[in-house]
Amino acid sequence: MRRLRDAARLAALGVRSRPGRAALSALGVTVGVAAIVAVVGISDSSRADLIAQLDRLGTNLLTVTPGRSPSDEPVHLPDTAPAMIRRITPVQRASSIAQLDASVRRNAHVSVADTGAISVVAAQPDLLSAVGGSIDRGRFLDSSIDGFPTVVLGSDAATQLGIAVTDGRAQLVLDGQFFVVVGVLRPLALAPELDRSAFIGFPEAATLSDGPVPPTTVYVRTDPDNVPAVQAVLASTANPAHPTQVSVARPSDALAARAAADSTLTALFVGLGAVSLVVGGMGIANVMVIAVLERRGEIGLRRALGARRGDIATQFVAESLVLAVAGGAAGLCVGTLVTAAWSRYRHWPTSLSLVALAGGMIAAAVMGTLAGFYPALRAARLAPAEALRSPT
Amino acid sequence: MTGTDVPVIELVDASRAHVGPPVVHALKSVSLSIARAEQVAIVGPSGSGKSTLLNLLGTLERPTDGRVVIDGRDVAALSDRQLSAIRAQHIGFVFQQFFLLDSLSALDNVVTALLYRDIEPRQRREVAAAALDRVGLRTRLHHRPGELSGGEQQRVAIARAIVGHPAAVLADEPTGNLDTDTGHAIAELLTGLHSDGASVVIVTHDLDLAARMPRQISLRDGTVHSDTGARV
Repeated sequence: MRRLRDAARLAALGVRSRPGRAALSALGVTVGVAAIVAVVGISDSSRADLIAQLDRLGTNLLTVTPGRSPSDEPVHLPDTAPAMIRRITPVQRASSIAQLDASVRRNAHVSVADTGAISVVAAQPDLLSAVGGSIDRGRFLDSSIDGFPTVVLGSDAATQLGIAVTDGRAQLVLDGQFFVVVGVLRPLALAPELDRSAFIGFPEAATLSDGPVPPTTVYVRTDPDNVPAVQAVLASTANPAHPTQVSVARPSDALAARAAADSTLTALFVGLGAVSLVVGGMGIANVMVIAVLERRGEIGLRRALGARRGDIATQFVAESLVLAVAGGAAGLCVGTLVTAAWSRYRHWPTSLSLVALAGGMIAAAVMGTLAGFYPALRAARLAPAEALRSPT
Repeated sequence: MTGTDVPVIELVDASRAHVGPPVVHALKSVSLSIARAEQVAIVGPSGSGKSTLLNLLGTLERPTDGRVVIDGRDVAALSDRQLSAIRAQHIGFVFQQFFLLDSLSALDNVVTALLYRDIEPRQRREVAAAALDRVGLRTRLHHRPGELSGGEQQRVAIARAIVGHPAAVLADEPTGNLDTDTGHAIAELLTGLHSDGASVVIVTHDLDLAARMPRQISLRDGTVHSDTGARV
């Protein structure tokens, strides 16, 4: 115990008496640990954000879309599908949309072929509550404006068309007819396919298409405790005649999969951090070898005072360890700061696992000990009389 | 030999050759013994083997031939660990270049000598302060070497050598880096140490200093040329 305390004190002394050099030699380890901690931290924070999104959006959204007929021809959902689905007891909400074969243009001078990949979609007023979406500006479709030529844009569609105002002055041309933009949506995390859509009411859609339009997707919100049960009966409820021609999906699965996935990039950057840590360790080893050369006098003196080879070796290993641990601690701080700053910038919750922090610290300590071995061995092997012959 | 007194250090036909090429015979078949509280000056021209003799006496080097016996034990039979223990407990060194650690206070420099002995950390500073008091540096405990004169630095080094009450203090040109007056003061301090019971062996070029010592051993070409205290 006493030897340990003496070793720690000697090591701290050795580091303190050359602070500039100590800081420089520990820098490599700082960079390595900071890189590892920041990469793991940023990946953790991004995951925490996905999980928070899932919690917020709920995992109880299901989508019902037409599948394929046995002869691989496109099929439609029956017109009755939304109403039938609403009759399933745990279903809280079912809102259907219909993809229309119509073009949307900024004005009449733009070519009809130039759709900008924006689709026109007929939607019901309760679509937003079903997909967990929200309004960025203006309003959504509702019964009070049914029958008027009004359109609401998804976030990407609004950006693409350059629509900034929803006060009634912005108009778009849908299939040759003017529509007033009354609202713009925020991005829809659970239904990103709708971000590039222009929404109109079903009555206007019927007018544009000269007849009622069949639903192409039904968004279904269920009681969170009965999701699998509802999922099991959705197909046969939507299309009792041909349940196999209905496809049912759970969009939150994609988010959950992203949250669960360890990205290859993260692994790559952790690897780079580890390389930097090793290089940092070699830097410390280098500095320690030089220190042993410079401090031959001190080594000789300590041997003359009765220090054993082991005492000398311990002193230099401990010094290297102190350097690496100090560098590692600085790296932890830098890595944590970088994680916090990046999460803040991306509006993520900051999350940093203890495993990353402890792992970074342990890696630094192991590196420092390894780096100290060779210099310590050289120091311990110095013959006392020879060491004393060199000037201090 | 005084007969009743076991010698503190004894060399029997001790030789020391430095491995070459060329092989240098720094010391050839030297026999001598240092008695308790004896004061010995070792003189001789450069290259006569003075420093090698001192290193053998202090177990910093082992003889390539012959025997060195310290505290009744043959150095050749001891491990590095045991030799280190002998240096820690029985021998104090004083060097021409002082070898003080610049970043430590006088007190901590003296404490350094106690790190390798079995002594409670709490007592170390007390014992070290007492040793500094013994060499007249009571008011300089917390000064760093850079803030001390050469003579004061050598006093700190002497305090460090005697802090563990060694059986022998071995000094290599202790006044070599000091002006005459300071050198005299240091010489006085060193020769006074035998009253504490320690043998004092001083390697020196300084004939004045050598003349103060009751026994003078003169080396030439690695052998003892004359020894005023030799008893057959």
